[in-house]
Amino acid sequence: MLKTLKIALREYKATVKTKGFIIGLIIAPIFMSGSVIGIALLKDQVDITDKKVIILDNSGIMADYLIQLAEDRNQQEVYEPETDKKIKPAYLLEEITPNLDDPDAQRLELSNQIRAKEIYAFMEIGADVAHPKADRATSRITFHGENTAMDDLRSWLRQPVNDRLRRYRLEEAGIDEAEVQDLFYWISVEGMGLVTMDETGEIKDAERTSELEALLAPLIMMMLMFLMTMMGAMPLLNSVMEEKTQRIAEVILGSVRPFQFMMGKVLGGLGVALTVALVYLTMGIFAVTKYGVEEKIPLDVLPWFLTFLILLITMMGSVMTAIGSACNDAKDAQNLSFPAMLPNMIPMFIMFPILKEPLSTFATWVSLIPPFTPMLMVLRMSTPVAIPAWQPWVGVIGVIIFTIFTVWAGGRIFRVGILLQGTPAKLGNIVRWIARG
Amino acid sequence: MNTVELDNITKTFGNVTAVDQLSLNVPSGSIYGFIGPNGSGKTTTLRMIMNIFYPDQGTIRVFGESVLGASSDRIAYLPEERGLYKTMKVREVLRFYGDLKNGKNVAREVDRWLEKLDLSDWADKKVQTLSKGMSQKVQFIATVVSKPELMILDEPFSGLDPVNMEVLKDAILELQAQGTTVIFSTHDMAVAEKMCDFIFMIYQGRKVLDGTLSSIQKKYGSDTIRIRTEDGKQALSDLPGVEKINDFGRLQELRIAQGTDSQEVLAAIMKRTRIEKFETIQPSLNDIFIRIAGPEAQEVSHA
Repeated sequence: MLKTLKIALREYKATVKTKGFIIGLIIAPIFMSGSVIGIALLKDQVDITDKKVIILDNSGIMADYLIQLAEDRNQQEVYEPETDKKIKPAYLLEEITPNLDDPDAQRLELSNQIRAKEIYAFMEIGADVAHPKADRATSRITFHGENTAMDDLRSWLRQPVNDRLRRYRLEEAGIDEAEVQDLFYWISVEGMGLVTMDETGEIKDAERTSELEALLAPLIMMMLMFLMTMMGAMPLLNSVMEEKTQRIAEVILGSVRPFQFMMGKVLGGLGVALTVALVYLTMGIFAVTKYGVEEKIPLDVLPWFLTFLILLITMMGSVMTAIGSACNDAKDAQNLSFPAMLPNMIPMFIMFPILKEPLSTFATWVSLIPPFTPMLMVLRMSTPVAIPAWQPWVGVIGVIIFTIFTVWAGGRIFRVGILLQGTPAKLGNIVRWIARG
Repeated sequence: MNTVELDNITKTFGNVTAVDQLSLNVPSGSIYGFIGPNGSGKTTTLRMIMNIFYPDQGTIRVFGESVLGASSDRIAYLPEERGLYKTMKVREVLRFYGDLKNGKNVAREVDRWLEKLDLSDWADKKVQTLSKGMSQKVQFIATVVSKPELMILDEPFSGLDPVNMEVLKDAILELQAQGTTVIFSTHDMAVAEKMCDFIFMIYQGRKVLDGTLSSIQKKYGSDTIRIRTEDGKQALSDLPGVEKINDFGRLQELRIAQGTDSQEVLAAIMKRTRIEKFETIQPSLNDIFIRIAGPEAQEVSHA
């Protein structure tokens, strides 16, 4: 055991003393949250080029209204009143007569104008939009442009179009709009938490839950776990491969058993991950205390987080050391590291449906599959929803059993692989080493 | 008493039999030389003694026990390929290796050996800055720093210049004098002849020689004539009773066929040229090695 700790200590020191580790400690969270920060920083960086849109109004009720509304918007929103600086594009809507004889030729002509950047888009309003018919072709509004999927102008059109249709229908029904002003008042459904009782027995109002709050804590927990696996377990693959190819392993094996060697490496990696965890959690707790948002952090999940983290690093560390021992060069490592990373990657791919419905059958079962349990169970537990108490316990038992299996199998691969030079690191070979030892 | 006892051990890798029914006893306090061509099974045998590899058949006893293994702190191993952490400092890596063997006074021993092998100035330098010869000496210190009772050295002298070779040789002899049993493999027959109490040769996984140098030479007898003549090699061709001529330029060694009288060979040469020097000698270890493993022997074995 002492020898295992000596190897672990060397591994730990060799990692944390490097400049790369310290830089990584700072860079990694920035990199991970980079897209969020990027979106926040760049959200005001909009294209202010004016957007000319041609309207083909087959209904005869829409174009004038939209053109007027766009002009109003251009007056009020395009220039910042204080500085007179242009901050948004002007929407220049223009109506032309639809070609009823050959609509396709007209559409092609307008499309070509878009390609030539003469106009931004064209919209076609069906003749029956006020009273939709079975024929969708005449009962819809289409908006054509080079990239309309995430178009601000198209989003802007949504409300004016529906307001206009509503007004038109009221007019037709002979109802005065002033009598039903509330018809145009939209109400949203607000997300609230649960009502609680404090120590004094007083019932506290439910708090408003924003999407950001609901997502942030679980995402941070999961990202931290991913990050720590990347910093604690992943480097073991290259470290072991280096020890193998530089024949250091042979010297070490003159002093320790292969299993002690492997576990020393894994414990070293675990030490690195826990150091990273300590740094980030300390910083996180400091930050939430400073900003007075302690209640937003699910502190009760923290012991589970650490338990699952230890198991995950042990599991992934065993896999990485085993793979490292089977590899002879960087190409081998590259081929095998991708499948080995799947237990870490798959939870990232499926996290959004789980976040949305943490109690769904899918979320429950997938979070009980041992390789995915550490990340997904912590993700589910960090959401505001209370998951059944038995699930983390069943999950942890499953992960312990699976971790014991990976350590055992990893040890068998390691024992054979570490001294075998030149034998390709094929999956078949690795399975054979597990089976035969 | 024997420090190492191998009893009928066999090791196969796939279809290749690396070591085949090998038995060997290494007496305590001796220097035992392992010789053999590349790929003959030397390193596999050493690794089995270290219990890094397990034999498929047979038993291995070290210090009288059958399950000691590589992790025994009484055994030290210097592998053929040097393995040092390149980014660690020399003193650091030596202390790490010494500590792994639970050596006593490791820090003091490291400094003593660094001084002894003239590496003190490099103690705080990173391993990657060392020359090949220096690395080899550092690796040697890593092996001896825990004061092992059995040292297994795989090619300890390869790549060393004569000065460093001498330093290492003296260190090994000093350790032997203190009671350490030393097993080392080498391709340098002259070193094996001079240093080893016993020599063991393995060829194609099988033991072909085992004993003291004199007992091995005795087995081959005085079947070699070393001769210098006025006309050199050309005067010696097609001599009856001569199996092989080994030409060294200014002198030649002739291997006499079994049952041939060396005086008859001498008489035949005298008819052809003037003899300047003539002596009957025992074959060298190098010669014996080539007889067993050289192309000539391979032709016979493939015939």
